Order: sequence, then C-alpha cells, then structure tokens
Amino acid sequence: MKKKVTLTVNGEEHEIEIEANRLLLQVLRDTLGLTGTKEGCSIGVCGACSVIIDGRVVSSCLTLAAACAGKKIETIEGLAEDGRLHPLQQAFIEYGGFQCGICTPGQIMAAKSLLDENPKPTEDEVKEWMSGNLCRCTGYYKILEAVMAVVNNKIDPDFAFRKREQTAKIQSLDVYKSVAKTN
Amino acid sequence: MAKAEKFSVVGQRVQRIEGFDKVTGDSQFIADIYLPNMLVGKILRSPFPHARIRGIDTSKAEKLRGVRAVVTAEDTIKRPWGAFFADQYILSVGKTRYVGEEVAAVAAVDPDIAEEAIDLIEVDWEPLPGVFDAEEAMQDGAPLVHDDKANNVAMTMDIERGNIVQAFAESDVVVEDTFVSMPQWHCSIETIGSVAEYAPNGKYTIYMNTQTLFNARYRIATALGVPETDVRIIQSAVGGGFGGKSCDDNNALVAAVLARKAGKPVKLINTREEEFLAGCRPRVFMKINVRLGFKKDGRIRAKHIKVIADNGAYSAKAPAITGVAAMRHDTCYKYSDVKTEAVLVYTNKIPTGAFRGFGNPSAEWAVEQAIDLGAHELGIDPIEIARINAAETGYVSPHGNRVNSCELKQCLDMAEKMMDWKSKRAGKQPNTGLGLACTVHVSGKRHFGDYDGSSATIKLNEDGKALILSGEGECGQGVHTAMCQIAAEELGVPVEDVEISRADTDLTTFCLGAFASRLTYVSGNAVKNAAANVKQQLFEQASEMLEANAEDLVSHDGRIFVRGAEGKSVSVSDVARARLFRHNGAPIVGSGSFDADSVLPDSTRFGNESGAYNYGVQAAQVHVDPETGQVKILYFVIASDCGTVIYPLGAEGQVEGGLSQGIGYALTEGLQIDEGKPLNPNFSDYRIPSMRDMPPLQHAFADSYEPTGPFGAKGLGELNMDPTAAVISNAIFDAVGVRIKTLPITPEKILKALREKAALEKAKT
Ligand code: FES
Ligand code: FES
Repeated sequence: MKKKVTLTVNGEEHEIEIEANRLLLQVLRDTLGLTGTKEGCSIGVCGACSVIIDGRVVSSCLTLAAACAGKKIETIEGLAEDGRLHPLQQAFIEYGGFQCGICTPGQIMAAKSLLDENPKPTEDEVKEWMSGNLCRCTGYYKILEAVMAVVNNKIDPDFAFRKREQTAKIQSLDVYKSVAKTN
Repeated sequence: MAKAEKFSVVGQRVQRIEGFDKVTGDSQFIADIYLPNMLVGKILRSPFPHARIRGIDTSKAEKLRGVRAVVTAEDTIKRPWGAFFADQYILSVGKTRYVGEEVAAVAAVDPDIAEEAIDLIEVDWEPLPGVFDAEEAMQDGAPLVHDDKANNVAMTMDIERGNIVQAFAESDVVVEDTFVSMPQWHCSIETIGSVAEYAPNGKYTIYMNTQTLFNARYRIATALGVPETDVRIIQSAVGGGFGGKSCDDNNALVAAVLARKAGKPVKLINTREEEFLAGCRPRVFMKINVRLGFKKDGRIRAKHIKVIADNGAYSAKAPAITGVAAMRHDTCYKYSDVKTEAVLVYTNKIPTGAFRGFGNPSAEWAVEQAIDLGAHELGIDPIEIARINAAETGYVSPHGNRVNSCELKQCLDMAEKMMDWKSKRAGKQPNTGLGLACTVHVSGKRHFGDYDGSSATIKLNEDGKALILSGEGECGQGVHTAMCQIAAEELGVPVEDVEISRADTDLTTFCLGAFASRLTYVSGNAVKNAAANVKQQLFEQASEMLEANAEDLVSHDGRIFVRGAEGKSVSVSDVARARLFRHNGAPIVGSGSFDADSVLPDSTRFGNESGAYNYGVQAAQVHVDPETGQVKILYFVIASDCGTVIYPLGAEGQVEGGLSQGIGYALTEGLQIDEGKPLNPNFSDYRIPSMRDMPPLQHAFADSYEPTGPFGAKGLGELNMDPTAAVISNAIFDAVGVRIKTLPITPEKILKALREKAALEKAKT
C-alpha cells in the first residue's frame, strides 16, 4: 500500500508516494536522488547512513521514511551554502579526515549534530560521540583532528579549495520511482 | 642516503584532489550509479558448505511480474577461472563448495521483486560431507573439495638456502613455536558492486569499484569467453579496497551474465552479509611453525618456517600469499640459512585471498614473536636483537631480493626515541609492558608474468593544464593526488594545473592496478616519465620562442625559463598554444612507461620480487588488567621508511589506517565459524576498531631516498598493517608473562593463560 508523504529535506519539500516499509535511506537515495547518504551495514552499526532529523543524528537505514513526515531532515547535500563549504567540510579536506570518503558524509553529519548542540566538546567527548561512525581507512586520527580544528577555530580562513574533481559523472537518473518536487 | 633534491610540489601538504567531492557527498561510488532502465540483481547463494546440485527449477521465478532475467550456470560457458588456478565458476556447476557460493541470480525491476524471485527458485540439493580443517583435509579419505586435487592440496613449497642442518648445529640458542592466524575481512565500508551493460554488438561495459581494472578485464573476459576488448571496465569511486576489490569474486561476472540475458543494465551490490560470506576474499588462515637459531651475541643463524595455509574453497591469490608468508620476512633481517616449507589446502570454507599485507601479517605475527622469544631466551633487549640483525642498503636476501635503500636501523632509532624505550624498560611497572617488531614490504611485485610495470599518458591542454590518463585505479588511498604531484613536479607547474582521469580500460593504457603497495613507486615512475616526455616537447617549442637551446631551459611555477637568464621566460600555456594553433599544429601529448628492475622468481622462487623494499618499526606500550584480561594500549609509535614522502596527508593516513586494521586483527577481528557456516557476518558481531579504540600514537618517516623511485619514493600502503599483531602480543608478554598464540588476542584467552601460569607457578613451589 502506497502512501503520500511530504518530506522536508535540506529545507526543500518533496511530496512522494511510498510504501509504508520504505526506509529513509532508500527514499533519500533511490527516490530523491540524494546519494550522498551511504549504506555500509544496514543494521545501524556503521554510521555511514547518518542524517540529522530535528537536530538529532540518526541511522537512516533503521528509520522508516513515512515516520519522518513533518520533520526537518538534514543530509550532507544541504551543508554547503552557495558553494561555501561548512567548516567541518573544510576541516576534513584541510586535515585529511578521509581517504576513500565513503564514511565521510556520515562522519560529518555526526560531528555536525554534536557541534550544533555543544560547540566546545572535549576531545574525549568527540571520541565517544564519533565512535558510532566506523571508518576502515583513516584510523580516525585525522577525523578527530578535523573535528577538533573546528572546535578550536583552527581552520584556515584563506583556504583555497581545489575545485571539483574533473571526472565526468556517470549518467544519473532515478530508476525506481519518479520524483515529484513541490514548492 | 639523505634526501638529494629539493622539491616544490612533492612532499608539500597539498589537499586531496577529490576532496571537494568527498566532503559534499558528490563522489560517485558504485551504488550511486543509476542508468536508464537499470535493473537490480540478486544472487541465490548456497546454504550448504558442500552439496551436489541435482537440478534447478527457475520457472516460478521467471513468471514473477517484474523479473527480467533468471540465470544459472546454463547461461554461462562453464569455464573455470581464477587468479592463479582456474578453479571457480561464475555460477555453481554441479556442486557448491562453501556457504554463500553463487548458484543462480535474478534481475528485476526493483529489489523487493528480485528478493521474492530468489525465494521462488527451487534447487534440488544433495548435501555432501564437508571438510573444514586444513590438517584434516590433507588426510587420506577426507572429502575432496575439488576432485582433481588429491588430499585437497592446492600447492606445496619446499625451499632451502644454505645448509639449515649445519646452521642450527652452529646456533647457541634455538627457539620454536607455532602461531595461528585468522582470516580477516577487509570491511571496506563500501561493499563490492557493479553495474553491467551489454550491447547487442557483443560489448560489455561494466562499472566496477575494483582496484585492478585490467586484471578484472582479463579475468572477466576469460570467464565469459570473449576477447578482452569486448569488455570495458570503468572505475567508479572506490569506498576502500585493501585488496578485497581485486576481482577474485563473481559479483561483476554475475552482473554481466544478467545484463546480457535481460538486455538491460543490471546493478548488483553485495549486502554486508554477502560481503562477509562471498564478497571480498578474507586473509588466508595460517598455522605457522617457526624455529630460529641464534648465536650468543644475538645474530640470527638459522630460520626454519613451516606454513599450513587454508585457502577455503577456491584459491584466488592464495598461492602467492602463501609464498609471501613463507619468504618475505627474509628481506627484513640479514639471514643466511633459511628453510621454508608450505602447503596450501582446500576446505569447504569461504575462499580467501588478498588483504593488505598479502601473507605478511600472518608471517610477521609468527616470526616477530619467535624473534621476541629468542631475545628473552638470550637476555638481550628486543630492540638490540633487531638492530643486530636489521637489513641495510645493499643487502641481498637469500632469495635474491636486492635492497637499494633501507633505513630500518634509522627507524629503530626513531622508534626507540619516540617510545622512550630505554627508560620505560628500565622503569617497568607491574602489568605494563613493551613490545616491538620490524617489518618489510615491497613496492610492486613481479608475479603476474614477467611484468610489474605501469604506463601513463599526459595530454597538455591549450590552457596549459595537464591531464593524466591512467588506468591505475584510485581506491581511496589518495594515489591520484600523489600522481598529480609527481607530474606537476616534473613539468614545473603548480599541482592545481594537473588533473587525472577516471580509470577506464577503453581510454587508458594498460596498468596492473592497486596491489602490492606498488602505485606510488611503479605508476609514479610511469607518470614521471610521461611528464618528462611532455616537458621535452614543451622545451622544443619553447626553444624557438625563447631563442635558446632546449637543453638550456628549465621550468617552474608554470613557466619556462632560460637557465641563467631568468628574465627570459614564457608560460606553459603560451607554449602549448603556440604548438597547436599554427600551420601543421599539434597538441602536446606525452606517454611514459616504467617496469621495475626486478627479476621474476624462478621455479625455486629465487629472483628479486620487487624494484624497492619498504621498511618500518612499530612499538607499543600496553597495560593488561590481570582481573579482566583487558588490554589497553597506552602508547604506540611507528617509524616508516617509504623513501621520499610525496603526499604527506595521504602517507600519514596510510600509516594510521594500517595501524587500525592491525589493531583489529590483533584484538577483535575473528571469524566464528561452525561447519563452514560463518556465525558473525555483520558489523555488530565482527568488530572493527572505532575511534575510541585507537591509542595515543606518534609516528614519523625516516629520512630516506630510493634511487629507483620517482623523486626517491617507494611504497607504504601495507607496511603498517603487517607487524601490529606481533607488536601487541610481544608487549602483552612483557607485561604479564603470557603469550597468546592464536588470533585474535581476546581477554578470555589472556585470563585463561594467566590462570594456567599461576597454577604452574603454584605447582612449582
Ligand atoms: S548503514 Fe546505517 S548504520 Fe550502517
Ligand atoms: S575514509 Fe574510507 S571508510 Fe572512512
């Protein structure tokens, strides 16, 4: 049985028809084309699918999409404003807080939810908080460094970003469902 | 040898070239590829470790609405394939040999329908007795995993250099013990996946998150029975490789067969459970017996190692991995007389394969503990034993490996200082201990035929910016950034002026791919040569413009200057344009190749496996809680010799990430398996380290220069995975006097050992 729901993602409203059992992760990726949120374990352990709902970080692989109607959903795609990266995004580049980058959207969303609530956490608080986000590449040192750089205001105000990777995107289309965007 | 040159781009803390895409979620990983009319694939896997397939009925699945293709072995040419031995099929032919093996597959319009269709496939199974232990598998009468492999033996090795009997006779102290290592999964946060398309003209296009595109193309073409150029592999962003994505599994092949039958693109992504059962091939199980003979002064006189390796149901790269476990360490210390015996065995378990370290972590787990045993027996500080025996520049191992640069002794000094080894050792606290191990790795490995090379093309655009075309896949480690730096350094342009293509077997020249810590060294040299070729063309053109000899020109900061008359210059973009926009104009395109000066090992495995050897030292201080058996790593230090560091952020990341995998291997990561059925194929029961598990760390790079490397660089990626388990075990022994010989080192094992030790001491008094 399909159901009409309106999801507010990164400030944009999407009116969609979905099965009641569809997970937020699937809807973000397959229906809305927001593929920045990743799937790593599907059981709520790795944090790759972390998004922020009404200010709290959650695993979108365990969250029913229909239950998010009327709530404020933030994903990695919503962080940069007018091409200006969020300080956490900048810090991850500056301090090398990723290698393959598959865990990075989740890491950044988890860190953002912490800093939104507590802008001055201690290093131990960051470690505890971020331990729900697995990374197999970095050994976490540079992730911690990046988050602490934001906490301690140590990101370079004049940092010049290398522009986007030149590699062309492989054609991207919605497959399973069509998208109806409102507003 | 000290650093010979000063660099302007190499060694600078440049940012990762894909950085922007990685932090915005824009990087396109395999699951992020959606093609028009794309179907979703799903695999029916064997629930049995060993079973005959009497028949498969797919009719119900085919009739399900939304199903576009159902395939079994009948849809394939049933040609076995494999990295070294052709022993596995795309889909089971006649029988299955492990839990999770691919038996049939479907493609459907959505994942739920695909799942439902899988349940509708009926297989007539006849379960067969299985064999799950390597030593049992070798017994006469054990069930045969492959009918043509007597006693389930895949391969044996027996090599002696020097005179091992005499060498032990001349030893003052002999130690011997047996160490068991476990399979370890790569646990890349992105699982293996592919999106395959088939065009009616016979061409397959497969998007893959593979780290070895051209090897993948070769194997896929072989198994499909088509020419290599009928298969095009395009690399997506890769969410972690570590050896697991080097195409030893069937994912892309099943996707290709489905795409051909369905006539539509098919996406097939492993679930996490599938990844554990039958995706990336985990580290080979090994039981290693080590016997070492020492002279009184600490010199190693003799080494005899016996390896029993269990490669599970199919061999993949295990024959080479077993060889590495048996021999690689002989390049770490100055050995003279060594004997190595190894046997590789089939069982009805998950096929194993390449994982960061490639046999070396299993071997160093054993050998570096045996060295520690020797140090205690001799009453010599382990760091001194390492110093006495450490390889040096110019060393030639008993197997022929020639070491052009080696800063192992410098690494020992660095580690000693960072750990404050001497004073911590002198002021030893109860239940606290120090451990150390040395490590060696290669920079490329000559084992896929007599070639360990790479190639690259660089095209110079009319705006003066260079684009590297390379088939060497970026698998997340950041090597593309290092390659851009190398090209920029050689061309004399800022790193921002160099870009690099996605790897694509149709558009880029032949490259072996990311394995054996080879890319910075091997592909770095190829890129450097291609850049030199571009520079030569630039200088020819510029010499006309500057009215000077090409030999007198130099380039830096994106401009070409006349040496000694730096006022006279022209920009790279002006030169590129001048060369192009004129009568008979032509763009500047350069190409370069490199093949390491190594020697393909002969039938006795004598040769020189790599062009360069990387060294390192790790040391840990641990505390063991005698009440709970919990190990806490108080401090960890690492010194690495990777020659010149090209890309510091990336190099540091390799060290730190290697350590985290090493800690997981040592302490938490272990397969639980019952009659061939893995019991913990998920991230909550198979525990990889999280941020809070990482110890305080200090690490540094040796002042080192590899004469054959690009700007003095050599490999690094695997080095710091290799010794960690032994380091931690040695430190635990120093702390509480018990040695755990089976991985992982759990608190339960420590407690049991402590109790046994206490009982023994009590019995003595
Ligand atoms: S995919 Fe949701 S927590 Fe791992
Ligand atoms: S950067 Fe690869 S998993 Fe975190």
